[in-house]
Amino acid sequence: MYNFFMALAKWLQNTWWALDISGSTWAYPFVQLTHFTGLSLWIGTNLSLDLRLLGVGSKRQTAAQLSDALFIWNWTGLGIAILGGFMLFSSAATKYIPNPAFEIKLGILVPLGILWHIIVQWHAGTREQAEIVTPFGKLAGFLELLLWLSVITAAVSIPNYDTH
Amino acid sequence: MLQFCEWLEKNPWIMAIDSSIVISLILEIMHYAGFFLLVGSTVIVDLRLMGLAARRRTPAEVANQLFPWMWTGLVMVVFSGFFMFAGDAADFYGAITFRIKILWVLVALAVGLVVRHLVPRWSQFSSIPVGAKIVAFVSLVLWIGAILISVEVPAISGVG
Repeated sequence: MYNFFMALAKWLQNTWWALDISGSTWAYPFVQLTHFTGLSLWIGTNLSLDLRLLGVGSKRQTAAQLSDALFIWNWTGLGIAILGGFMLFSSAATKYIPNPAFEIKLGILVPLGILWHIIVQWHAGTREQAEIVTPFGKLAGFLELLLWLSVITAAVSIPNYDTH
Repeated sequence: MLQFCEWLEKNPWIMAIDSSIVISLILEIMHYAGFFLLVGSTVIVDLRLMGLAARRRTPAEVANQLFPWMWTGLVMVVFSGFFMFAGDAADFYGAITFRIKILWVLVALAVGLVVRHLVPRWSQFSSIPVGAKIVAFVSLVLWIGAILISVEVPAISGVG
């Protein structure tokens, strides 16, 4: 399985876009910009909803209303983050594959985070129309907060496990 | 100022924090999380003013909900950023890209304060004034620029 992923990584690293990014002074920062802009929207809106579910901050909008208001740009942010992340990954794929922090981030935490976010968003939209958040809503928001903080932890740990 | 930076670097508390892997990791996580919260919430308000987000709510409703998180994110960024800066203060002080980053962020914050101050007034109109949309667009561009400059600081200066 590992050999398969490494072979895929080598292929990816030699695609035209990956070579353009790694060979250009300006392309790499713009790819990072794409990834971080997407993350600002995705994680920023996730954390805003999670904090509302925890009952922190303004309660003028219910969690359902807030979830609805943020929905489109929340998922647009993830799309932009994935686009930027894919480009970043492509440019140095063989370096990322054996990196345990990267493996944990993308293999476990991000899929879990997205899945849990779908549950949180569904729950907020259908069960949290009142000002007071249900106990499950609070727990869901708290767990999601922890998950995305874990993703950030794994992401900032990637350079510490770089074997190249 | 350089002397202050050199003094800061050699401060025992700063040296202890800088040499702790765990504390350095926590500060980095706080910096990123705070930045995402700050930029994410500000950008949504800007997009609402441009008529591109949360159209079922007024700009004032969106701003009232999200601006507290902008300030929370800012506090996290400044707090963690200070300690991250302090450990290599002299190097950061000498890095032109870092100085540009700080200046740029201050300008973005100033525009954010203008938006915060005027959003209640803009919300009273039946449609958002063109001037408001322009200010919101400028704010959006400034924050995206802040992200670009932030990723360039370590790449160009080698610090951070």
